[in-house]
Amino acid sequence: MSARITQNMLSRSLLLDLQNVTDKLSRTQRKISSGKELTAPSDDPFAASQALMLRQNVALDGQYQRNVAEAQSWQSVTDTALSNVTDAVLRVRDLVVQGANDTIGPQGRQAIANEVTQLIDSIKSSANAQYAGRYVFAGSATLTEPYQLGANDAYAGNAEIVKREIGPGVQIDLNTVGQSTFGDDTSGLLSTLRTIVTDLNSGNTAALGNADLRAIDVAHDSVVNARSVVGALSNRLDTALSRLQQLQDASSAQLSNVEDADMAKTLVDFSTQQAVYQSALRAGANIIQPSLMDFLK
Amino acid sequence: MPLSTFLGLETTLRGILAQQLALDVTGHNIANANTVGYSRQAAVMAPTPAYTVPGVTRPPQAGQLGTGVDVQSYQRMRDEFLDIQYRAQSMRQGSAQAAQDGLKQIEVAFNEPSDTGLNSLLQKYWASWHDVSNAPENLATRQALAQNAASLANGFQNLATQLQTVQTQTAQNVTDTISQVNAIGSQITQLTAAITADEVTGDKPNDLLDQRDVLIDQLSKLGNITVTVGALDTVDISIGGATLVSGGTPQSAIAESDMTSLTSGKLSGLIGLRDTTIPGYQASLDAIASTLITQTNTAHANGFDLAGNSGGVFFNGSDASTIAVNPALLTTPALIAASANGQPGNAGNALVMVDMQQTAQAGLGGATVDTAYSQLVTKLGSDVRDATQTADNATILAGSLDDKRQSVSGVSLDEEMSNLVKFQRGYQASSRALSAMDEMIDQLINRTGKVGL
Repeated sequence: MSARITQNMLSRSLLLDLQNVTDKLSRTQRKISSGKELTAPSDDPFAASQALMLRQNVALDGQYQRNVAEAQSWQSVTDTALSNVTDAVLRVRDLVVQGANDTIGPQGRQAIANEVTQLIDSIKSSANAQYAGRYVFAGSATLTEPYQLGANDAYAGNAEIVKREIGPGVQIDLNTVGQSTFGDDTSGLLSTLRTIVTDLNSGNTAALGNADLRAIDVAHDSVVNARSVVGALSNRLDTALSRLQQLQDASSAQLSNVEDADMAKTLVDFSTQQAVYQSALRAGANIIQPSLMDFLK
Repeated sequence: MPLSTFLGLETTLRGILAQQLALDVTGHNIANANTVGYSRQAAVMAPTPAYTVPGVTRPPQAGQLGTGVDVQSYQRMRDEFLDIQYRAQSMRQGSAQAAQDGLKQIEVAFNEPSDTGLNSLLQKYWASWHDVSNAPENLATRQALAQNAASLANGFQNLATQLQTVQTQTAQNVTDTISQVNAIGSQITQLTAAITADEVTGDKPNDLLDQRDVLIDQLSKLGNITVTVGALDTVDISIGGATLVSGGTPQSAIAESDMTSLTSGKLSGLIGLRDTTIPGYQASLDAIASTLITQTNTAHANGFDLAGNSGGVFFNGSDASTIAVNPALLTTPALIAASANGQPGNAGNALVMVDMQQTAQAGLGGATVDTAYSQLVTKLGSDVRDATQTADNATILAGSLDDKRQSVSGVSLDEEMSNLVKFQRGYQASSRALSAMDEMIDQLINRTGKVGL
């Protein structure tokens, strides 16, 4: 004998099925309206943990890109300053060659000495270049002006190399130290320039033609060298930036794969579930209504 | 042949009365078609004892004459075995449902994956340290760090509070459910007393038995119960090992401590949530917060602030519910120790903080702060999923077992309608038989002896 089926059983199972379909419909609808496959960790715990990790990666890669961009701006300020200094040094070299010439008189040398003194100030103000309120050549004493304009050539910064992080555990040396590049009152470029001024004023053409010219070449080399380091670092930062962008793009794409709803599939699911829902309703209306009562007099 | 003339009248009358009673039972069934827990009843008809013709010598005729029908009892259609199966599923359903409800609340509190959950607050916090490492001299980036650290601390505190709230609600729910258990227990005791009183007189109180079974069904959702049916339909019920009902004798109310072997049902789900699941989440969250606090504070003390002084405390508090940024840092962000040597341009200590994001922490079982949090969220997600699946399965199983019960006990209107027709026709036919008897006797009384008149 087959099982007895009662009216209550029919309505109970119809109601349960309708609730199931409605539940599925509402989930699909939420996927469509939010555009997200994952709305709670329980939707797919493994995917949720992946999503969290990928979000961390995307955020971190974005942050490293900002770090790189920041370092790049710093390098570009440094490079501009060094370029100005190089120009000034080359001009000084020309002037020294002129001053070493015996045909130029003491007055001429005086004028040249004045121009060199002006160029010293110009070099020092380049060395005082700032990026976002920070002195880029002052070592880690970034809030201290490294050089004072005028006769005092002392270096007020320090020699510390400042570090920046451009990748997990990857640190770069950010700054060019002013003292080793431009020198101070005892050595380096500035000291050489002061000697040149003295020699110009005293008419020491022998020194101008030999020692000073050699010294200015050495100083020029050191500035050019600093510039090439900056250039190499800029290249490295460019490479790092494009690599970080690629990493972030890859992580974002993966995140979207894990988190975002596949619209085509979701919409097809939605129409299927809607069709099921409607036929369940129709079947329910037809099954529940009639009973033997409708056919007895 | 000493048979009463009126025997046939009596026989047909019995038929009429029995069909009428069966019709009444059908009416009762139809009336209760939608009553929860109602078991359909059937009038059990049996022939009345046959009439044996008395005589000293064996009469030359058939031995026994039927005398009609009688309703012997009203049978309650019920399969106790299905009740036991249904209640077992109902217990499973109760515990999974309770766990699912609580866990879903916690899941909502975590609000992951999203742009506002703790994960994203952590990312903002680390990013702020990066920004400070990019510009350690800048007060604005330091201020942003202090603010983001405060948001992170708030995020931890909110989550800790939400967990605490769900735990408190669950504890309240346990208390309420135990009162419910005791209320149902005393109702069952009263019903049992009434049932026994009826049964002593030989009656079968079908409707009271139905009511009691409904209560036992309700009880099975709340805890693991064992039901023992005794003589005269008394029941002994224990829930989680504690005696709740013992026949018709009122029992003292049971407390949580009495239920020593609670293994399923709503109470078990709630108590598991209150004593195991939520404290587990709290412990994980506290471990993350306290690791962050101690590691950050240790590193911060090694650094130097913008004025070149040693760093002070960064985070106050010791766990997720107490973590807070040192208020001095919010008002004076220059006190944040970003430098490793006291120089304003040095970001060495900020870089230490930045690297902490990638550092495996012994206090977190070798996970980083970020991954420990991801693990917590994944654990929560799996727990919710498990509870949901168990609850769904138990619901479907309980539903199909209930269908089986309904198949035995439920009222089918089609069946009742056909019974209605059947008994109505039976009544009509019995009446017609009575009329036939009547006409026969009429013939005998009014026409006999009037030959030739």
